[in-house]
Amino acid sequence: MVENYRPKIGVYICHCGINIASVVDVNAVVEYASKLPGVVVARDYSYVCSDPGQGMIKEDIEKEKLNRVIVASCSPRMHEPTFRNTLKDAGLNPYFLEMANIREQDSWVHEDKEEATEKAKKLVEAAVAKALLLEALEEKEVDVTPSCLIIGAGIAGIQAALDIAEAGFKVYLVEKSPSVGGRMSQLDKTFPTLDCSACILTPKMVDVANHPNIELMTYSQVEEVEGYVGNFKAKIRKKARYVDFDKCTGCGDCAEACRLAGRIPSEFDEGIGNRSAVYLPFPQAVPAVYTIDPERCLQLSKGKCGKEGPKCAETCQAKAIDFEQQDEIVEVEIGAIIVATGYDIFDANRKPEYGYADNDNVMTGLEFERLVSASGPTGGNIIVGRDKKGEGGYEPKKVAFIHCVGSRDESVGNEYCSRVCCMYLAKQAHLIKEKLPDADITVFYMDVRAFGKGFEEFYDRVRREGIRYIRGNPSEIYRKGDDHTLIIKVEDTLTGTPLEHESDLVVLGVGLEPRRDIREIIDLFKLSQSTDGFFLEAHPKLRPVDTASDGIYLAGCCQGPKDIPDTVAQAKGAASSALILMASGKVKVEAQVSVVSPDECRGCGFCIEVCPFGAIELVDENRMGNIVKVALVNEALCKGCGSCAAACLSGAIQPKSFKDEQILPQIAVLGVKS
Amino acid sequence: MVDPKKLQDKAKEILVRDDVRRLIGWKRGTYGYEAAPAVIKDASDAEVLIFDPTCVQNPASFITLEEKLPVPRGAEPDTRKVAVMVKGCDSRAIVQQLVEKAYDREDVIVLGIPCRGVIDHRKAEAMFGDVAAPVEVSLNSDKVTLTVNGEKKEAKREELLMDKCLRCRYPNPLVSDFLLDGEVEKFADDDFGDVAEFEKQPPADKWAYWEEQFSKCIRCYSCRNVCPMCYCVECIVTKLRPQWTRRSTDISENTAYHIQRAWHLAGRCIECMECQRVCPVDIPIMTLNRKLTRDVKELFDYEPGVDTEAQPLLASYNPQDPEEYIM
Repeated sequence: MVENYRPKIGVYICHCGINIASVVDVNAVVEYASKLPGVVVARDYSYVCSDPGQGMIKEDIEKEKLNRVIVASCSPRMHEPTFRNTLKDAGLNPYFLEMANIREQDSWVHEDKEEATEKAKKLVEAAVAKALLLEALEEKEVDVTPSCLIIGAGIAGIQAALDIAEAGFKVYLVEKSPSVGGRMSQLDKTFPTLDCSACILTPKMVDVANHPNIELMTYSQVEEVEGYVGNFKAKIRKKARYVDFDKCTGCGDCAEACRLAGRIPSEFDEGIGNRSAVYLPFPQAVPAVYTIDPERCLQLSKGKCGKEGPKCAETCQAKAIDFEQQDEIVEVEIGAIIVATGYDIFDANRKPEYGYADNDNVMTGLEFERLVSASGPTGGNIIVGRDKKGEGGYEPKKVAFIHCVGSRDESVGNEYCSRVCCMYLAKQAHLIKEKLPDADITVFYMDVRAFGKGFEEFYDRVRREGIRYIRGNPSEIYRKGDDHTLIIKVEDTLTGTPLEHESDLVVLGVGLEPRRDIREIIDLFKLSQSTDGFFLEAHPKLRPVDTASDGIYLAGCCQGPKDIPDTVAQAKGAASSALILMASGKVKVEAQVSVVSPDECRGCGFCIEVCPFGAIELVDENRMGNIVKVALVNEALCKGCGSCAAACLSGAIQPKSFKDEQILPQIAVLGVKS
Repeated sequence: MVDPKKLQDKAKEILVRDDVRRLIGWKRGTYGYEAAPAVIKDASDAEVLIFDPTCVQNPASFITLEEKLPVPRGAEPDTRKVAVMVKGCDSRAIVQQLVEKAYDREDVIVLGIPCRGVIDHRKAEAMFGDVAAPVEVSLNSDKVTLTVNGEKKEAKREELLMDKCLRCRYPNPLVSDFLLDGEVEKFADDDFGDVAEFEKQPPADKWAYWEEQFSKCIRCYSCRNVCPMCYCVECIVTKLRPQWTRRSTDISENTAYHIQRAWHLAGRCIECMECQRVCPVDIPIMTLNRKLTRDVKELFDYEPGVDTEAQPLLASYNPQDPEEYIM
């Protein structure tokens, strides 16, 4: 065994062009390294990661019989996999590599050349101290179940499901609400091309329902997920619809007959339209199967519906209404998971100065989408201020749009830009102009960010249509007198003039926020959040659809605000990541995992509580007749993060390659001043 | 005061149960001002049990000390419960051990004793000298009555009680299955004034102080052995790979040992003061522990050993945690 030989260390100092060499005296470091215990060769090279650079290492391993390699260059995050492969190619265990980061931790952050060189020497010496204690680790592979679970059937989930299904793999598409379609189905037209949202989305909705490789589970929720990359198991609760899925023809007689018809605010119409207790969220809903809302239905919530019993059941010719239906639990085995849970809109009540709660002619952008939509409660007529029965109301004459409501606003804790509001407000202004050509339209903005393809052109077009853009962030919106006129107090920051702008309809450009129930998803999949509250990707640039948990990918707005093209692109990215996993059929699992020393473990289970990957469990161990609990690491799940080692009170669990005895000599070298 | 008859009867009642292995309490000591711990297996031996202000030792320490001996072939491991008598302060050790999942709640039967304070043997020795015979002590609201070598002596309560009693916030057990006496009213409070006072010194003085204290240490590990929270299977100070502390008793290694111990008790020390009581060279170990207790309380609003449902401080995470500590 190579690791039993006396250590023969090769040290390679990288110039990284001038990134390192302009600050660190590379030759001095080579000279210093060559005299360290166990070092056989020490060399420098302009780019060690290049082909000749790697070739040099391979040659030395062969000629000098090296059994440990140290590369002093950039962060291991960048090139550790590269150099591990170099070692592997040369027949050495890849975990006999140790990297000293003399770029991010040295040359990039220091100016004094002499001190930076001294630091580089220390970092290399510390790496040598650790290299002597490195162990050979074994890389294992596990099989991948060729199926994928997708949570959320908005445009992101739908697109990912179609791509994976087309590639020939099984997809379980789980949607919480009764229909697929998500937020996109609520929209009227889509910027900047003004395609009708329903027209481009509905065919895809129908496709997911009909695709032989997709098992669509609407009105369902994932309750439990266990397992690891390639081998997950999920429990899915199919909630009772109280309507027989196979018998229902979607005729809608039940909804008309319902005693509560038109008396329950419709979630799909953002509360500006009404529905019955038995309902189809919207006419193009997929599946076209009605659902009874158990909280509102008189029969289900009160046990009694009128004197003659429920009218829906009486009317239904297909006899599809079934009040005895129970939730069903389905268990599925999958290899990959795509989380596409979407977003919620900012709650406008958190900006009370805009008077959203008190005035029905102050509405959110999404409410306006429903108002302007041909399938919406007014049939696409822009009529505001209708009463509860949907009668009365007026056509607005002066309309104002407010940018950045709940975005770019530290006072509500959202520093980020929601990326869609500038454009959807421009689109909505355009739609009003189209339907009410005489309306006076003003947009109050902070900046207009028209960054996407065709965005700037669209913004120009809208402005040319006679829509006024005023740069200013309103401080207050209030009702003037008894009629519906609203006063917007704002300063035109380009001219420095304070304005009191009159308007009879205000549309708030509310931003996008993480879903209010995001915690449930986090707990289910052990995901992390970035500071804005959306899910955290594995790397902001190079791994935008991966998560820290292997085999779990992100698509759409659950990862951050996005418009439809970006969402579709990311969904395709997530689908491709899941497909790589499923198509290769095998997955390598982390070799640097934690190990438990069972003799020292006292079975308290703190490691289990802190483990972000659910990789540890307690098992019985027979200690000379006494049954005791000790921790056991599932090596397929463990990512070697070391949280368990930090939590363990008795130091019984340690990540391989980062054991105390390996890092202490390293620290000792760094701690002693030369 | 607890009626000894009632205490012994309850002990007997528990010891005759089939699911109880042993009971840990106190008996009269063989000399001086301190009672001795008593481990009783048989109900007929329960007569020796007492409770009075000499019962200083924390019996909760014994629960985790017990070694699991090899079980003879064919025999079943003994999984019967252990009964333990505790004062208010002692009970916090049980709470913290439960929080740390050292054992399950159903593994122990807790006999709680509301307590008005116990005496400090160092203070008593300073006032009345060493005694060869065990001393009997009783306590009322403002004075302590002692029978030293047959002679009645008296002292003021605050002159003789342990420091921990003078700032006792939990005179009644926080966890118990049976209470052996009526609950007592809280009679003291803790503002950590001593910690604040100590911190006022310039760093050089503090360093000099600790240098002197640690140089006395003989590394007998009594403080560790008596501590109810020091129950790791393998203690870090005896680990050889890696070796965190050398075994030599010099100022450097002694300092490392004491700092390590203090850190390992951060958010865990329940202030029973046993470490300081047993120290043969009078190192004021609690001064270190109380500094950390105060900091943990101020920084994280966390107090160990008061809530069995709590998460251990260092195994819990809150995004709102202050980061002053990281600097």
